[in-house]
Amino acid sequence: MKIPKRSFEASVPSMAMGDIAFLLLIFFVILARAQDDSHLRWEPAAEEELEQAKNYKASVVIDVDNKSYLNGRPIAQGQLAAALADLLGNAEQNKRTVLLKVHKDATAIHFEPVIEAVSKAGGEIHHVLEKRRK
Amino acid sequence: MKLRRNKLLVEPPAGASSDIAFILIIFFLVCASVQPEQGRPQVIPKSEEEPDKKNQSQNPEVELTRTAVILNGDPVSNKTFAPRLASVLARKERKADKIVVLKSHKDVSYERWINVTGLIEKAGGIVTLQIEEEQVHIVN
Repeated sequence: MKIPKRSFEASVPSMAMGDIAFLLLIFFVILARAQDDSHLRWEPAAEEELEQAKNYKASVVIDVDNKSYLNGRPIAQGQLAAALADLLGNAEQNKRTVLLKVHKDATAIHFEPVIEAVSKAGGEIHHVLEKRRK
Repeated sequence: MKLRRNKLLVEPPAGASSDIAFILIIFFLVCASVQPEQGRPQVIPKSEEEPDKKNQSQNPEVELTRTAVILNGDPVSNKTFAPRLASVLARKERKADKIVVLKSHKDVSYERWINVTGLIEKAGGIVTLQIEEEQVHIVN
């Protein structure tokens, strides 16, 4: 007499897939957030003709409280040139763009040293501005 | 005799809810992460330790205050600044002579600075900054 083998169903538990995807997503969002500066408060100055920034390597923000940030992290103005030089490294001429996001009411005493630091580090400045409303 | 109605079990398909949530998250993330990075590129010559004073004196100098623009020592209105600077720069042939030395007062706002540097660049000038260094005066 032949005894029939029992067949076991082995399926991947698909119910957990959504949770796994969600956790992975949270992980990557947090990872990306480390370099993000969207949480900083600043208002762009207005200009008539604007260009889209390309191949930028870093972003420097001066917020409403005149504090400076490099890639979303606070930094002292004295350390900015060295930190930017490290970030830019030996990048090619057209790939050394640094985004400069300065609050429109910031004064020269705060933003000029930042511009000088970017220039010293060999960065190409791209002022982030908004379109002037007519 | 009463006939019993069959009660139909109507439930939303719970299996797809995680997929819907996932797609919604992706949608909001993409919406949040698209920040316009529009603006204006600016080339500022690298600062030198010992600037060539002979050459520097030939370059046009612009002094910027909160309310006024001073071109080579003469106050000019905002409207006449661009054409006057353009006429000064038109006489310069070498690229090095088209460098405009910009000296801003401490209280000049970024918005005003952007407007004036925009005018300088439109007039054909290359902006370079003259930043005042803090000096300590000892009074006897």
